[in-house]
Formats: sequence, C-alpha cells, structure tokens
Amino acid sequence: MLSLSFTQQSAVGEIDVYHTFEVDGVDHKLWLSPCRQGYRLHLTDQVIAPVKFVSHNDSCGLLTIAGEAEPVRFVVDGDVLHVLIRGRTRTLRYRDPLRTLASVAGQDNSLVARAPMPGVVLTTTVSPGQSVSAGMALMMIESMKLETIIRCPQDGVVDRIHFEEGDSFERDAVLVTLTKEGR
Amino acid sequence: MQRITSVLKVNSHQFRNNELHNRRLADELKERQRAARFQRPERELERLRRQNKLFVRDRVEALLDPHTPFLELSTLAANKAYEGEVPGAAQVVGVGIVAGREVIVHADDASVKGGAWYPLSVKKIVRALDIAIENRLPVVHLCDCAGGFLPLQAEFFADRYHAGRILRNQSILSKMGVPQVAIAMGHCTAGGAYVPALSDYNIIVEGTGAIFLGGPPVVKAATGENVSVEELGGAHMHTGVSGTSDYLASSEMHAIAIARDIVAHLKRPAKASIDRAAPEPPLYDPCELYGIIPKDPRVQFDMREIVARLVDGSRFHEYQPRFGTTLVCGFARLHGYQIGVIANNGVLFNESALKGAHFIQLCDSNRTPLLFLQNVTGFMVGREYERRGITKDGAKLIMAMSGASVPKLTVICNGSHGAGTYAMAGRAFDPRFVFTWPQAQISAMGAEQAAGVLTHVKARQLAREGGRLSKQELETIREPILEEYRERSSAYYATSEIWDDGILDPIDTRSALAVALSASLNAPIEAPHYGVFRMYRRIWVRGHWMRPSVREGAPVDGSGGMQL
Amino acid sequence: MHTLPFDTVLIANRGEIAVRIIKTLRKLGLRSAIVYHEVDAQTPAIAMADVAIEVSARTPIAAYLDIAQIIAAARKANAGALHPGYGFLSENAQFARAVIQAGMAFIGPTPETIELMGDKIRARNFVQRNGFPVAPSAIEEDDPATFVSKARAIGAPLLVKPSAGGGGKGMRIVRDLDTLEDAIDLSRSEGQRYFGDGRLYVERYVEDPRHIEVQVLGDAFGNVVHLFERECSVQRRFQKIIEESPSPALSPELRERICETAVGIARAANYQNAGTVEFIFGRGEFYFLEMNTRLQVEHPVTEMVTGIDLVAQQIYAAAGRELDFSQSAIVSDGHAIEVRLYAEAPERGYVPTTGKVLLLEYPHGVRIDSGILQGQHITTAFDPMLAKIISHAPTRMDAVTKSHRAVQELVLLGCETNAGFLARILADEAFLGGQFHTGYLEQNPHIAAGNTSDGLSAFLASAALLTRAVRDSADAVPELHAAIGSWRN
Repeated sequence: MLSLSFTQQSAVGEIDVYHTFEVDGVDHKLWLSPCRQGYRLHLTDQVIAPVKFVSHNDSCGLLTIAGEAEPVRFVVDGDVLHVLIRGRTRTLRYRDPLRTLASVAGQDNSLVARAPMPGVVLTTTVSPGQSVSAGMALMMIESMKLETIIRCPQDGVVDRIHFEEGDSFERDAVLVTLTKEGR
Repeated sequence: MQRITSVLKVNSHQFRNNELHNRRLADELKERQRAARFQRPERELERLRRQNKLFVRDRVEALLDPHTPFLELSTLAANKAYEGEVPGAAQVVGVGIVAGREVIVHADDASVKGGAWYPLSVKKIVRALDIAIENRLPVVHLCDCAGGFLPLQAEFFADRYHAGRILRNQSILSKMGVPQVAIAMGHCTAGGAYVPALSDYNIIVEGTGAIFLGGPPVVKAATGENVSVEELGGAHMHTGVSGTSDYLASSEMHAIAIARDIVAHLKRPAKASIDRAAPEPPLYDPCELYGIIPKDPRVQFDMREIVARLVDGSRFHEYQPRFGTTLVCGFARLHGYQIGVIANNGVLFNESALKGAHFIQLCDSNRTPLLFLQNVTGFMVGREYERRGITKDGAKLIMAMSGASVPKLTVICNGSHGAGTYAMAGRAFDPRFVFTWPQAQISAMGAEQAAGVLTHVKARQLAREGGRLSKQELETIREPILEEYRERSSAYYATSEIWDDGILDPIDTRSALAVALSASLNAPIEAPHYGVFRMYRRIWVRGHWMRPSVREGAPVDGSGGMQL
Repeated sequence: MHTLPFDTVLIANRGEIAVRIIKTLRKLGLRSAIVYHEVDAQTPAIAMADVAIEVSARTPIAAYLDIAQIIAAARKANAGALHPGYGFLSENAQFARAVIQAGMAFIGPTPETIELMGDKIRARNFVQRNGFPVAPSAIEEDDPATFVSKARAIGAPLLVKPSAGGGGKGMRIVRDLDTLEDAIDLSRSEGQRYFGDGRLYVERYVEDPRHIEVQVLGDAFGNVVHLFERECSVQRRFQKIIEESPSPALSPELRERICETAVGIARAANYQNAGTVEFIFGRGEFYFLEMNTRLQVEHPVTEMVTGIDLVAQQIYAAAGRELDFSQSAIVSDGHAIEVRLYAEAPERGYVPTTGKVLLLEYPHGVRIDSGILQGQHITTAFDPMLAKIISHAPTRMDAVTKSHRAVQELVLLGCETNAGFLARILADEAFLGGQFHTGYLEQNPHIAAGNTSDGLSAFLASAALLTRAVRDSADAVPELHAAIGSWRN
C-alpha cells in the first residue's frame, strides 16, 4: 500500500478562507486572533503580537505593533484602505473570500479586454459585430507617453466597445467585451 | 486554593522507567493516528484528484477558523475491525470552531472505500449527533459517501441505534432549534441523501455533488429509465428545480466559504454560565504525567499527582481529605473553569462511595461540572462491606452520578473495571465526553482476575468429566484467555468499538478537556434533581457502626449520630 | 507708481499654475478670469477666479488648445491681458499674435521671439551665430542627404531630437551607431505625431550631463537681467522631478559665466518678459540646449532665493513697464529646492495613478503650489503633476532636510503619488552630496523601486484592524479557543 503523507496543517497559501489584502498587485493572506493586550496578527511568514489600533477619528489613529507605537493616517473607502505610516503611503484592498471564490468560477474572464493601467483611448481598430481572433489589436491606448496596444484575449466577436476615442479610463476597466463566436 | 505538593521523585529509577514506557506509548498513539488520518493508497488519492475532489482533511481544515483548536473524536474507530481497512471508520468527527462558533464537524472520508458507511461508521456518526444533541452544538456535515456497505447491512440498518438513528438525531436537533449545515461534496445516496435534506441549510458543489435516493444504476434496474448523475441529482437540478439544495457552489472551496458564511449568521444562544477565573497553567510540568503512570498496571499511584499536572496552578481544594481516602474529591480549575474532580486512589469502599455521592450533589448544587478520572478495579468485596451495605452505598453513588445535571467528563487514566467503571461515570451514564489514555484497560474484571476465574471454571468442567490438569495444561488454557482478554480490554479495542470518544496523549488531556468542557456549556444546566437514594440511619458507637434500636430517633450516646 | 493699463487678466491654463497666477493677480489688485473644461470644474483655480468661463472640445486637452474659444472668453471677461501659463499655448506664436490682434496684452515674449526660440534648429543656429556655445550637431534640414553621415560623424553618444519638439517627447539617446537609423525613424514618427513636424536634428550627447538653466527677465526697453540658475538634473525620461538653486555643481566663476551667457543670448534676441535659457553642463563645459519662452514649472525655486515675484514681473513687463531693478540688485540668498508631486507609481514603472483625493493635508514650513483639492478626482486627462513643494533654507543640507520632512508629513490619501520616491531621493547619498546628473535615476533604479516589503506588516496590521470583517472574525472566536490556538490532538 503506497502512502502519501500530507502536512498536518495545510500551508497558509492553500486555505482560501483567510482574509486577503491586495497591495501593489500582490495578495497577502492574514488572520487576526484575539490575545491579551489586543490581537495577534498571523501573516504567511510570521506572527506579530500584540497589535492594537486606536482610532482617534475617522482619519487618524495610533497603531501599536509589537511594542512600538506608530501614528497612522488613513481613509477607509469601502473595501479599499489608504494608509500613511511614517511618511509612506500604501493602498490596501480587502478581498472578500466569498466574492473571490464565487467570481473565479462564475465569470468567464477571458471574454473581456481590460485596461492594464489608467489612460486614454487613442484609436479603436475594431467595431462591434466584427470577428476577431486572439492576439488581434483592438485599440491603442496612451498613458503618459506610453502607447500600448490592447490585444484580443481569444477568438470571438466584438460585442461592445466601452470607451470612445479620447475617453479616459481607470486601471482594470473593461475596455471591450466579446461574445463567443457562434458556430 | 492551595496547591498540590508533589512528592514525586522525578529522578527516580521508577519515574524514568515509567516515562520511557509512556512516551513510547504516546509515540505509538501518534503514529497510529497519523496513519489512520493520512495514510491512504495512492490509487485512492489519485481518484480523488481525478474527480476534482479535496482530501477530507483539507476540507476540514479549510472549514475551521485558522489558529483555533480542533478536538477530533474517535480517530482510531474501527482500527481493530474490518481487517484494518477502514481507518477512522471512514469518518472524521470533531469539535471545532467555525466563524467563531463551536460546532460538531462530521465529514465522510471518501478516500476510504469511497466514504462508504460501515457499521462502525454509522455508530460514529450517531455518536457525533448524540454529542450535538446533548451539548446543543450546531453541526456541519461534509457529505461525500458511496452509500452503506451492503454486505454488513444487518449490522447497521434495522436496529434502534443503526443508520436510521442518524436521520432521527438530525430531526431532533432541528426540533431543538440546533442548526445543521450540510455540503454535498460527492454523492449523497439513499439514506445519505437525507443528511443534506434534513439539514437546515445545504450547499451542493457543481459537478461533484449529487443527491438522490437511488443512483443511475438503481434507477435503471428499478424502472429502466436512463439518466445521468447530473440530471438525476446534480447541483443545477437541486438548486434550480427541486429546491432540495439552497446554494450552488462552483467549487469545494466556494462551498466551504458559503458554509462559513452561514455559520457566521447563526444565532448565538447564551451558554450556561459557570464560575470562571483567569486561566493559569499547572505549576507542575504536564510532561511529568509520563513518569507517573506506572508501567505495570497493577501498581497503585496517587491520583493527586495526576491532578497536579492537569489543573490550573496545580491548585486543588480537596473535599473530605481524611474520609473515604480511596476516592479523591475536590475543586479545581481547568483553563479558568471551576470543576469538581473525582478520582480513584484504590478500590471503592462504603466511605468513598458516600463521599462521592455527597460531593457530586455539592457540585450539582454549585453548578460545577464534574471530571471523573478513572483508575478503579471495582468496589470492595467481602462480608464486612456487604453488611455495611456497600451495594446500597454504591447505588447511591450511581444514583447521584446519573442524576447530576452538570456536565460530566470522564477520562479513563488507567484501569476501569467492574462496577467501578459504571460508578465513575462510564459510557453508559452519558458523560458528555469520554476519553482514555493509551495504556488504559477496560473490562468487567481485570484480565488476570478474569483469566483466573475462567481457567478455574474450565478446570472444574474438565475435572467433572474426570481427570486433573497439570500446571502446564492450566497455563495452556489460561494464556489464550489472558491474551484475548487483554486484547479486548485494551484502549485500542475500546476506541475501535467507539466505547469512548478517543485515546488522548496524556499531555493533550488538559486542552482536550477544556475544549470539551466549553462545548458542553452550550446546553443549559438543569436544576438538580435525583431519583431515590436508598438510605438508612447508622450510628458510630465505640468503634463500630450500629443500627439504632427500634426506638427511632433515640441516640445511643452523646457522640452524635451520622444521619445518612 | 502708475496703474496698469488693464484690470482683468484671463488665464488660459489650469491646475497649480492657474492658482499661482491668481494669487499674484490678487496681490496686484487685478481681476482674474479663467477658462476651464468641465473636468476641471471642481479644481481650486475655478473657485478662486473672479470669472470662470467653460470651454469645450472633444478632449479636455483640446479645450485648452482652442484658440478661438479662449479669445472669445477673454473678450467676454473684458480681459485686457492674457497669461498662457506653461505648456498648452504658451509657446504658440500664432496664439500670441491672435491675442495681440484681439487687443489684449500677451503676458510673455513677442511672437517673433517665440517663433525664433520655438524652432529648436533655428534657435540653435541663432545662438551659435552670436558666439555662444552650442553642442556639436547635425541638422537634417540643412542637408537631408548628408544628415545621417554627419550625425554619424559627431560620434556616439548622441541625441536625436525633433526640431519642433520640447519637453522630452521624441528624444532618443543613441550610444551604438548601428541603431542610429532606427532611432532616427522612430523620432521622426513621434515628431510627426506629437508636433506635426518630422524634422530632426542630432547633437552631441554629453555623458553624465547636468541640466542647468538660467532665469532671465527682459523688458521693452532693452533691459535684460538674470535671476541666477536652477539645476534640474534629477529627471526621468526628460521629465523634471527635483529642481534647486543654486546648483551644487557650479563654482562661483562658472556660475557667473553661465548666467552671463544666458543674459547675452536673451539680449541678442531682444528678449522681453520672463524666459529660461537651458544648458547642458558636463566636465566643466556647458552648451546651449534650448530657450523656453515662457514661465517654467520650477520658477518658484528662483522666487524663493531672490525674493522676486516672477509672475508680477511678467505682468509689469507686459504692461510696458521698465524693469525697476538692476542686475546688481538681484541677490541669491540661501538655497531652495522644489520637488514635484506626481500621480504616478515609480515603484511600478512610473505607471500613472488615479483616484479621488480622500484626504489632503499639506506639510508646514514649506511653500506649496498646488492644483488639487480634497475631494477632487485625479484622472489621466492631463499631466499627472499634482503639486510642487518648495523649501527654502540657509544651506543646501537644511533645504534638503526640510523637503524630506515635508514629503513625509504630506498626507494625500486616495490617489497613489510619488511622495515616497521623492523621500528616497532626498535621503540618497548621491543626491545629498550633490553628485548627480541627468542619468542619476536611471542608473539607480533601486530608488524608484523602493523596498516593497519594508514595513509592510505595519500596513497589514492597520488594514486588518480597520477592516470590520477581519476584526469580527477574530472577535467571534471564544477566548478559550483563541488562547489555545491551533491545537490538534
């Protein structure tokens, strides 16, 4: 009988029920558990305790982390947190595991062309109803002297172009949606 | 509360021997549990991967809150049955934390015989649901079962506590207002189909989950109808058409996330409130437990030494320390919770039985849960004791113990034999949880004693037919009886038969009991009330207990009487 | 002191420079009018101006380039003068003419000067003819047939530039002559696209060059003065990031020479109003680069060290007044540093960022020229510069320290900025020692990249504790189980 041992506890990365914050495009999993003087912060590679946060108002607070006190300025914008600590500003986006797991399967991600960065549409080279193939140029966008060609993710038919020439858009915005080619 | 002063000599030869022996037993337990939990034929794991299914342990870990304890029950169920081919009886059961709630987790292990229900599997599930009922714990079912193991159906189908009891227990839980959440992660066939159906909420996984009373082959045989698994009982059908399932999950992880979300929204009824202080670790190192338990089961030891390594600060308020000394009774704390400890230091005498009965009533009145630490060969036998009414005294102890409304927890530390097993809150008396230690022995009579009796009986049988047996021949008869007896009274046999809720490494006992105790407080504690205690009046006269004279109420002398 | 011939000035610009101009207009008791595109409706300048007139076009940028609409707006506002700011139409001679023809004073140099200096090749030739130093070069227009071979003859490294260009667009450094023709083709197509003019010139590229520019000021009476130099070597892709005065690279003697050269060039061009002569400096030598016939972004640096309000001087010059101070009266005191705050992420390849300014708090003790308000949406419709932070102190070290503290104290949440990057430059050894050149950032990519994991746990801790769902998960676990932790039997 061949045996296969699994680790007693799955590595942090495998369990999706942890809370996730996306920072600069990287997902960081973490968990909080209560402890004597506040909470314990469990990260992928370390545990920090105690951690505590006292909000003075809705943009100013004091973080106590492993004995050190750091003044924090912050703004909570739904699931996005903008945080300033010691002159350094970062944006953290909370990812609800339920929504992430649901959307992974539900949505067919490949039928949209998304913007890799914020910018402006320069030219559109396709039109709705047009048959397109994977790799084909759909539009040219510009972002601060960087011109990028947005290419078609897979074969299909152009359904809708969401921005006109000269329109500006945010990062991740859906620029073009396709439908699967009818066969 | 005063601390127990240990008189143990940790450097003694005896201690060292015990320690070596018990550590070896603990290692053996660890290894057997590891194998039962994780060792699977590669083809089974391959099959799960092909079916896009997660291994049961990964499912359970994903379900539980990170960084919380999980008390697994009866890990080694069926370890001595079915030629050892059904580790854990193909079930994973335990008490864990999901979204902050204490729940019972019940998961079919599809890597063992496809998750089929063997007789002991059914027993394990029934036991899990009994725990849920007794302790009012919500249940999360992770269903993935091939169905009942039909060759053994006579052992799990028709009787009162057979498979039907699973469905009955589920209905009663619902009636009690205790929620259940089920996830169909594989097939839920025939009886198994009712597990999600009887759960308050159920989730079905797209592609792998299916619920039907009869699968495609059964349907084909019954009516000739040709139908696929998906069409017959798949996720889309049950969520969109029949309404049997409440949520469609695109993957197992998605299903688990939904289940956690559901549990997070369940009501949180108030728990029974008992006395609790700030927790404190024992003063003495729990590892010393290895050195206390004697290698030879016949050697006596002081249970207070065990208590000192289990309870907070090793503090123990002993009750009636000078009376009934073969039963140690007292108050202590376990992770802050106040408990009443009742532990054996020898056979049970009249005094110990009476003391125990009284102490139980004190604890019941005080709303203090009880912890029974068993190491007992039974009650004292003999003329003097019978005349003093040891049977009645034992009965009072049993009456008090059975009637106690506070939660009872039992740990079989060493020997558990005869009426002592019963009086010390054995399985039949519904302690909320029963655990054993690796070297424990449980049987009607001690192995040596029993072997002796049975050999004697057999020898007499043969003698009647004429002939005497030589010493050697006696041995030949005695040895196999002893062997079999030892085998069937071992902790591993007991746990295989699910006579207990699991073997614990002694050093895990403290955490296990804390989790168990906390779980037990989810059920309300009724007011104390008991059956009839067989009582009478006795007076102590010049060194003897005496029945009073016919004239009731007249004391014999000024020394006072002891009304019982 | 006579009054000015106009009482209303129209500002054909936006953002921080519009605010800056309005401040001086107020100081001088002048009425301010401004044109704006809808996307700028919530910006500070619109609220501050006395009159705000909306203009529209297919794109926001196009609106600020619409000469007809702007002149019409100026008329409507009864403006007697027009300030073009920087960028947009500020160096468009045709626009300057149209303004003058409409009867308004154009606050800038004459259209002829704009044309002269706007054509980079013409400007270069003019400077060379007048005896001022220029870098060896080849101009395509002179002889297209021999252009490539002449370029090759200059030798590597060299710089290919569109002659109609500016601001860094279309420029290419060629170090390997094998790639020269490709570089020429690419620069030509970009020149065509951005400036409508594919003509090129090529000039010697000074290795480890430093960008030194001199602020000049002229009037209609032939007076020209300089207001000392600014060093603008901390750049990325020819975009300036940090500017300072005085330049740590110049000896007093060199300083004098460069400033005098700049004045000489301006005088030769009969320069009126404010302008900047840009030089490339390296290994003790300097060459004329180009002249910008407008107010520059980094003009506050000069204002801090000289104490002179350049916008006011521009207005006086446009009003026909004579400069009322001589060269000797202009003194440079202390050291000033300007850092540009951009809506971009240097850590991720300088990708532009967007967002709503949810919280904005400026640091104290420094000058802030800002075009943003709390609550404003930052989009990619325009240049991503948000604000300028200018510090002034007796010594360079003090000024650097002040700037560093300021960027760390700045609170801008909701749109990612380069503040962290600015702080890293201001703490970098090479910068502190004044040892840098225009390739400094490129050669030190670690400054832009920063250290992504540094201090990350403090952010994760804050985020976790501020997020309800995370806290609730923790709070839900009973005390006992939290204390025991991940235990398995």
